[in-house]
Amino acid sequence: MRKSRTSVMIAACLGAGALSLGSAVPAGAAQAEDTATVSVFHAVPGLTVDVYANGDELLPDFKPGTLADPQELPAGSYDLKVFEAGADPKTADPAIQKTVEVPAGANATVVAHLSADGKPQLNAFVNDTSAVAAGKSRLTVRHVAAAPAVDVRANGTAVFEGLVNPKEDTTEVDAGTVSADVVLAGTDTVAIGPADLNLKEGANNVVYAWGSADEKNLALKVQTVSGMHSQPGGVDAGGSGAMASGNSSNAWMAWAAGAGVLTLAGALSIRSRTRQDA
Amino acid sequence: MPDRPQQRAKWRTVAAGSVWSAVAAGSAAAAVTALLLFPSGDPGPPAGFGQVPDGGRGTGTAASASARAATPPGQKPVPSTGPTGQNSTTRAQGAPPVRVVISRADLSAAVVPVGVRDDGRAEVPTDPAQAGWYRFGPAPGDAHGSAVLIGHVDSRTGELGELAALYDIRAGDRVDVQRGDDTTIAYEIVARRIVKKDRMPADVFRRDGEPVLTLITCAPPYDPDRGGYQSNLIVTAVRSAS
Repeated sequence: MRKSRTSVMIAACLGAGALSLGSAVPAGAAQAEDTATVSVFHAVPGLTVDVYANGDELLPDFKPGTLADPQELPAGSYDLKVFEAGADPKTADPAIQKTVEVPAGANATVVAHLSADGKPQLNAFVNDTSAVAAGKSRLTVRHVAAAPAVDVRANGTAVFEGLVNPKEDTTEVDAGTVSADVVLAGTDTVAIGPADLNLKEGANNVVYAWGSADEKNLALKVQTVSGMHSQPGGVDAGGSGAMASGNSSNAWMAWAAGAGVLTLAGALSIRSRTRQDA
Repeated sequence: MPDRPQQRAKWRTVAAGSVWSAVAAGSAAAAVTALLLFPSGDPGPPAGFGQVPDGGRGTGTAASASARAATPPGQKPVPSTGPTGQNSTTRAQGAPPVRVVISRADLSAAVVPVGVRDDGRAEVPTDPAQAGWYRFGPAPGDAHGSAVLIGHVDSRTGELGELAALYDIRAGDRVDVQRGDDTTIAYEIVARRIVKKDRMPADVFRRDGEPVLTLITCAPPYDPDRGGYQSNLIVTAVRSAS
């Protein structure tokens, strides 16, 4: 699953009465290859909840800021309901409700978060699990905070600009640790951070900006989806051909040229040292 | 291992640079003729041998369960039972490698971390006396995957690299990788391959499956018009008891 390079799409159907499935398992979704990998991130501050999927409890007593481990779930349609922890799902009104489509093979994260104006909602994001170039790291930022448009900076340079709730943006950067912060779009007014982010090679490093500006609890959360690394394009580990005398007329001619080579070699070595590449 | 008091014979300077440089130099003083060590025999492309453990790849990230079974018949089995003191494989990342030694082949190279060049190819230490550890992949001592060490077979100045000694290794040779925490991981060579540079096998940089050490340098044919060496020499070693 984590190796999947299939480009996937997830359609998040806006909830309100779209579908109301009675059973937990979508029809015809029993095959192993018809599963999806689903993570859940709780990004609504101050509200411990129970999460139900198609009437069955999926995540009990789920606390804000928690990212639930990925689960293999049958692909299909899920009627998700989020209740205040301990509430009776038969009688209580859900705090958030939405139906999401989880296609086979998808790697997705369902996020319970605040809208830009502070209303709890659910959104499903697809995690890009396509291959990442050797030495590179995929950086994805998702704006799920009750806050206006932001820019995201790494080591002081804007990586994403004008990101608004509930959008995401993604790019590939050199793997390694960066100092990241989030500023109000077009300004130097820091909203979150700076924080050191270890952007892992060959992985999708998904950074959530979550919380509420009004409540002054904006924060970052990182989800790492790994296993998409690539091998380097090749290994160039030779120079002069000195080790190739067997097959190399070049080398033999050089031998034949005789003793002078040795005296010249010193001069050549100085000249060529800087362009030695492999 | 301490630095050698003197450069060994294979560090002798041999013909370097282009044909025209050599020819131009042909009339130069012959006083050093006695120092020229003509190639005895053909050191060209060495033969491959052995079978490479496939690491159970192709089964995704849960490959470790089948990794042992992937050892080909006839190959010396990898000692696999139980931790053996400091050499035990643990999930924790150990200290990075600092030196690789193959005593029988007279190879001892300092190891430095390397990554990826801007053109996407693996970085190789400029100094041919050093080997580079591909830091994005497994480290020697990690429980899974192929820890890769890369070194120049020679430099543009004509010096042979430390990893040129890989032309002389045999199956069964012991490889010791010393780490920064003074622990040593021991391996035993099981295979050598010569592959076209643009045909790097997928197992070389794998990150799961059986833990192996992979050493890479360059191999003939040498074509100066096409970027030099056209092949890679790849040596695979498996963990040994100590």
